[in-house]
Amino acid sequence: MSESSRRAMEFGKLNYLIIDDFENFRLSMRQMLRSCGADRIEQAGTAAQAIRHCTYNHVDVVLCDYNLGEGRNGQHVLEELRHRKLLKRASLFLMVTAETSKQMVMGARENQPDGYLTKPINRAMLDQRLGALIEQRNALYPINRELDRENYPEAISLCLQALPKHPRYRTWLLKTLGDLYFQLGDLSHAARVFDDALKQRELSWARLGRSKVMLANRNYEDAVASLSQLIARHPDYMEAYDLLAEGLQRQGKLVDAQHTLEQAALHSPNALLRQRQLAQLAEANQDLEAACEAWRKTVTLGTHSIHDSADHYLALAQSLTDLSEGDAEEAGAERADEALNLLKQMGKRFPEQPELDLRSRLIQCRVLAGRGKASDANRLLDQIREDGGDGQSLTADTALDYGKTLFRLGHAGEAKTLLAELAERFASDNEVLNRIEALLDEPVGFRQKLQARTLNRDGIKAFESGDLSAAVEAFSQALEIVPDHAALNLNLVQVLMKQRHSEADSSALLDRCQRCLDRLAGLPEQHRQHRRYLALRRKLEELTP
Amino acid sequence: MTKASPAASDNEDRIDFSMVLASAVHDMKNSLGMLLNSLDELRGEMQGSASSASRFNTLQYEAERMHNDLVQLLGIYRLGQDHLSAHIEEHFVPDFLEEHLARHSPLLEGLGIQCRIEAEDINGFFDADLLTGVLNNTINNALRYTRSQIRLTAQQREGYLVLGVEDDGQGYPDSMQHSGTIRFGALDFNSGSTSLGLYFASSVAALHREGERRGSIQLHNGGELGGGVFEIWLP
Repeated sequence: MSESSRRAMEFGKLNYLIIDDFENFRLSMRQMLRSCGADRIEQAGTAAQAIRHCTYNHVDVVLCDYNLGEGRNGQHVLEELRHRKLLKRASLFLMVTAETSKQMVMGARENQPDGYLTKPINRAMLDQRLGALIEQRNALYPINRELDRENYPEAISLCLQALPKHPRYRTWLLKTLGDLYFQLGDLSHAARVFDDALKQRELSWARLGRSKVMLANRNYEDAVASLSQLIARHPDYMEAYDLLAEGLQRQGKLVDAQHTLEQAALHSPNALLRQRQLAQLAEANQDLEAACEAWRKTVTLGTHSIHDSADHYLALAQSLTDLSEGDAEEAGAERADEALNLLKQMGKRFPEQPELDLRSRLIQCRVLAGRGKASDANRLLDQIREDGGDGQSLTADTALDYGKTLFRLGHAGEAKTLLAELAERFASDNEVLNRIEALLDEPVGFRQKLQARTLNRDGIKAFESGDLSAAVEAFSQALEIVPDHAALNLNLVQVLMKQRHSEADSSALLDRCQRCLDRLAGLPEQHRQHRRYLALRRKLEELTP
Repeated sequence: MTKASPAASDNEDRIDFSMVLASAVHDMKNSLGMLLNSLDELRGEMQGSASSASRFNTLQYEAERMHNDLVQLLGIYRLGQDHLSAHIEEHFVPDFLEEHLARHSPLLEGLGIQCRIEAEDINGFFDADLLTGVLNNTINNALRYTRSQIRLTAQQREGYLVLGVEDDGQGYPDSMQHSGTIRFGALDFNSGSTSLGLYFASSVAALHREGERRGSIQLHNGGELGGGVFEIWLP
């Protein structure tokens, strides 16, 4: 049999799906595929049609145009097919593009297609390119079948057998092998695969893999160094940024991690998961402006993505609300409006979820309160109370949000009762307990919280440099903003006790200490400051005549 | 429509002309892509009507050339913006060359030019996108100057992967024959041919590095076909 008729036969064995919004392109692609020997060819004009087809039919080769007009693009299609496991590893996904702009290719990296076809395409190109991919698919089919079955040890031994047999697929085999060892936790074998590849030459995928192994071995310093180097050489290698951010995060360098992701987002702004990661990091860093921006992008990118979630809307609405509180400028009003609009959109996009509706209304309460509309806010809160928002059946997230809202509307007592109940319900969940503590410590708006934190830092600095009266001043000012803050009260007690030695009238100081400690009388045992509180109370008793 | 590059300027009143140009080039390139697609289909439909074939070939050749030029312009723009870095991957060289030949095969047939590949069965390390730009341009150039034959070669020489495009035309004039790297400053925009293509090829070659060694291009005459020989040496 001749080479070309053998190839035509291979084309004929497979199922094809052509996705393009232009009928003319679909028809001409179909014509070309037919003349290559393909027979079972289906078509889809939209992303939705394509995904529906793949849900109910087996497809071996997908030829998908990147630009599908309004709505979802080829990348969204690939993302969803992979995420919902509608496409087997043994199948081929080819992205058809009118260009190979780096930005598009980079956005595609997270869910990589098996190949790109650049328009204009002619029959000879399609025959050659797709033919070579089908040949590769056939050669590697046994391995991909084991990968689909998640039988990794078998896949590893097949890779090892194939290496000497198929030198032309060496890169694919080595990458897959390293990745498999890594997934199975066999870090030393994974490292050896990447090291061997690197011995041959400096290859970015191998360098990335090697860094991944370092991270898994908790060798953060080397991992961070090697990834920084990789990025310096390849400023558009997105996986390297993600991994570097992870390494920095594990080192506790959250601000550096945030900057790394910000840089990555400049290069490749369309990756939803990275924007979300960035938003969360910025939140952890109290950089609310940056968090707000990243959440906004996450919400926008979610419109067409399988990763869309109501949580993104809530997070954005929260950060907008926090920023607008106490901001008398026009920007404050704009953000408040944006938050309200966003919640309305969320209601339409994710209908009929009672808890979601409740959370939406809780945020609305805070927006209204923040804009000085206290009576509107309280009216809405009354409705929430009537609808059964008693806190007993709520998730921790919602109950915490409820507590925050009650504090903001001036119902501190009610908030404390709610949080006490919540603490009882989640007595064994440290994460929830920590969040309750944080809210009780600082039940104020974002700006005030920052102000109190800055004052606290100033106080500690003054204390360390020996300027006790400046420290007292700073801590006292901070306590005016957050009077129940446990650590702050204890800080003040500590400075006052020290100051006592140099002051003539020590009984007034001791009185002040007593008042601080009285405020913390109800501090629960599991609170991080509880032992310090006990120690300082004992000390005060000794000092008091 | 996705643009080649986001507007980076904070000052919205200032026109970033190179950005405007890049966007326009990007749109033109995509339009030409559509045009070329239609030409391919037309060629399929009008098989045998020899009287219009030569004009048709000219049409397709010139459209291809413009398309290549625009792709290259975008490449150079990105090079200038430092957006371009080489993604070195391992590729099976004969497949890579076959693919390029396939892109040009309708026109080659139309013009009656024979083209053959003589490649060793080797793997090479290079950025496929960047090399695609270089090869398209070089093959297109060879199409213009050849009489009847083009030869694509690939071999391992002195530890480098050498890809070559040879033709049986007049060869390069003395002034163009050289080897090494071309600097942007050395381009002469007043002469008829700016050698922008060579600058691009040379820049792409230089992006390929391995340890101390760098890629380069070489132009000379002779080869097996006796015409121009373009070589790109990759470490």
